[in-house]
Amino acid sequence: MKSILSSFIFLFFMVHALSAEIILQNPKVNEKAPLFSAVNSYGEKINLADFQGQPVILEWSNHECPYVARHYEEENMQSVQKMAQEEGFVWLTIISSTPGEQGHVNPSQANDLTHSRNAYPSHVLMDESGEIGMQYGAKTTPHMYMIDDKGLLRYKGAIDDIGMGMKFFSASFANATNYVATQLSDVKLNNKLAIDNTVAYGCSVKYNYD
Amino acid sequence: MKNIFLTLSILWSTILLANPVETGHAKASLITNLQSSSQESFYVGVRLQMQDGWHTYWENPGDSGSPFSATWTTDAGVIIENVSWPTPQTIPYPPLMTYGYEGDIVFPFQVFRSLDTELTEISLDFDFLICADICVPEQAKLTLDLTSASSSDLLDQAIDNLPTKLVKTKSTISGDELKVVFQSPKEFSTAYIFPREGNLFAYTPNQEITPIDENTFEITLPLYQDGVESFSGIISLDGQGFQFEEQIASAGGMSLWQAILFALIGGLILNLMPCVFPVISLKVLSFVSMGGDDHTKIRNHALAFVGGVMSTFLSIATALMIIRSTGSMIGWGYQLQSPVVVGILTLIMLGIGMILLTNINVAAGLTNIGSSVQNRNDYSGSFFTGVLAVVVASPCTAPFMGAAVGYALLQPSFATLPIFLSLGLGFAGPYLILAIKPKWISSLPKPGQWMETLKQFFAFPMIATALWLMWVFMVQTSGDALIQLLILGLSLGLAIWMIASFEGRWKWVGLILTFIASIQIFNNLPNNANEITQSADADSWNLSIESDLQANNQAYLINFTAAWCITCQTNEKAALARTSVQDYLAEQNIKYIKADWTNRNEDIAIGLAKYERSGIPLYIFWKPGMRNSKILPAVLTEDLLIRSMQ
Repeated sequence: MKSILSSFIFLFFMVHALSAEIILQNPKVNEKAPLFSAVNSYGEKINLADFQGQPVILEWSNHECPYVARHYEEENMQSVQKMAQEEGFVWLTIISSTPGEQGHVNPSQANDLTHSRNAYPSHVLMDESGEIGMQYGAKTTPHMYMIDDKGLLRYKGAIDDIGMGMKFFSASFANATNYVATQLSDVKLNNKLAIDNTVAYGCSVKYNYD
Repeated sequence: MKNIFLTLSILWSTILLANPVETGHAKASLITNLQSSSQESFYVGVRLQMQDGWHTYWENPGDSGSPFSATWTTDAGVIIENVSWPTPQTIPYPPLMTYGYEGDIVFPFQVFRSLDTELTEISLDFDFLICADICVPEQAKLTLDLTSASSSDLLDQAIDNLPTKLVKTKSTISGDELKVVFQSPKEFSTAYIFPREGNLFAYTPNQEITPIDENTFEITLPLYQDGVESFSGIISLDGQGFQFEEQIASAGGMSLWQAILFALIGGLILNLMPCVFPVISLKVLSFVSMGGDDHTKIRNHALAFVGGVMSTFLSIATALMIIRSTGSMIGWGYQLQSPVVVGILTLIMLGIGMILLTNINVAAGLTNIGSSVQNRNDYSGSFFTGVLAVVVASPCTAPFMGAAVGYALLQPSFATLPIFLSLGLGFAGPYLILAIKPKWISSLPKPGQWMETLKQFFAFPMIATALWLMWVFMVQTSGDALIQLLILGLSLGLAIWMIASFEGRWKWVGLILTFIASIQIFNNLPNNANEITQSADADSWNLSIESDLQANNQAYLINFTAAWCITCQTNEKAALARTSVQDYLAEQNIKYIKADWTNRNEDIAIGLAKYERSGIPLYIFWKPGMRNSKILPAVLTEDLLIRSMQ
């Protein structure tokens, strides 16, 4: 009897633990960025903690999302990636689409995308379970995060000020303020940013929710 | 070659300008409710029939997505307003939450045109994001020929269902939660708050509803970010939407205890306000003359006065709660919006003035009429002085009091009452202390001839108050009505004199004369007070003026005022009407707007409620670059006003 009861209690906590999983976290800027480890598109294990001493940029991506597609088709994302790498940033492109959903790719497809699009990520991380996405509260693709070399989250939000709305598809990237590109040097100096929290815009991250 | 291009472009436009248009996952069409070519205002609607499982978004799409964009092409003289958003629904996509519409939806747009323009056709570039699990941007180029379009019932239905009614909300920040209290306009089983501001709240967690009393409820929203100052959106009750909009006090809102404390301080200060001071001084003088008397007697008089004050505040609070329960928006000073009340107050002030000046003992005269009420030590006199003090205090708002009363009127009943009682307690505080320590009266100056002189002097502030009320009365009604009121004042004077100077039946004649004159004159008063004509240098106010002006990047100063608000009038003379201020406004291109509350006006009451106020004066300033408009000090000088706009 006792064991049945205790297994019920165990089950109850399990269910709770699982349902708690799908709540998006809300990391605060200027505080420690949540640590994570993931496997990259070459099957290597990558820890955020390994990059201590280097500033890091996280980019949530889904190559089939029309917003992401336009950023890549017009070489906008690639140019920011290049700029960031030249400034000494580590660029992590994270794919949180669950298998069967839009934007989900296997490692070799991910590498093909990198080559075909001329992209410059340091690593492409496979986050099928959506664990890292939820840890960071990633809502859209693209959704950008900047972490300084001491591991403090300095920026979260949209890539630029074009923002939500259908205007995105006709707006010019040249006239937009790119929040990531324009604030690279401040993140390197461990400064608080003038604009550190914006509304990310784009497609929803295709998490596993069934 | 040219011809081919021409043919192609004509062909192209016929394809694109069709109505309806299949966009991929939806069918889009333009409809109108225009019925005759002589209408100056009508609606056009974009109807979007989405395939099963697909949805598009509200103005705040939630965690992801995007509202549509609409670009109109019309003839000059036709103005198409922004979309009137229908009530959205929740479209959960765990762990994300989005807000939007599914199925067959109509987005209404209001159209204004000047009648000298001919109706032709209007066209629209409609770009929208449509999503199921994935999102696709789609577009429709739509054209509607207004000369031949038939009126659509579907659009009328959509307009009827728009969330246009306002509900009152009162929100407070506690920790990382925003607690929203609202008064429900109807019974419901489910409620959901759709916040208009993006990035301030976590949308996914369930919104827990806690009933507070019969039709007051609380919903808790998890805050994502601090620094929420203004908060607006739609509350959906079983799918029926209601608008709300409010400013959140930056100090984390006021707690009930704070409001009670403010009311206490406000009530105490109210004693010194110009409209109350003379009446209060009389009471003080009567206490002074009791200096040598028995302490029990002093205590009883003080307690009777306190009783009068408290029971009047209690009645006011009850009346306000009853009026509020009918759904009307009300505020402090509300009673002065009725010319009848202003007329009666004028007569009371005049009467007091005359009695003070002539030293007629009306009370004694009246007591002789009804011999049954003899020998009661005249404690009722003290009681009614208490009542009178509150009545004459009604046009005044003391510092601290505005905030407390504003809070009280938005709270459920159990919180309204203690705030008003605390206000009364503050007002009656000095006399309550006197009742506890009657000994202290001996520290006041000794009675003597100076008291008689001072009493006569106090007639003048009373008459001055009467003059001011006469002016309010005239603004509310007309010069003719004012003359009638003054004739009534004259007969009142005559009656006072007769009651005091004659014996027997002449007293009765005096009373009856006054009674008949009052009935005559108040019967003739217009039922609805006159429209107030705006002074030429100020624009008039409406409920949406702030958002309109902000949208146009136009700086503005709003003056919530009324003829009966004496602080407002003082500010007007001391600051707003000064040339330096007027010049500054013109120079800086600041639009000056007057919201005149002299007569009852529901919209202005709602406008005040947005700033958690229920009384005036209230001055609101905004200029481009400011995130939210700011409330200027309630007491203004030229310098202070200009400085606070810099």
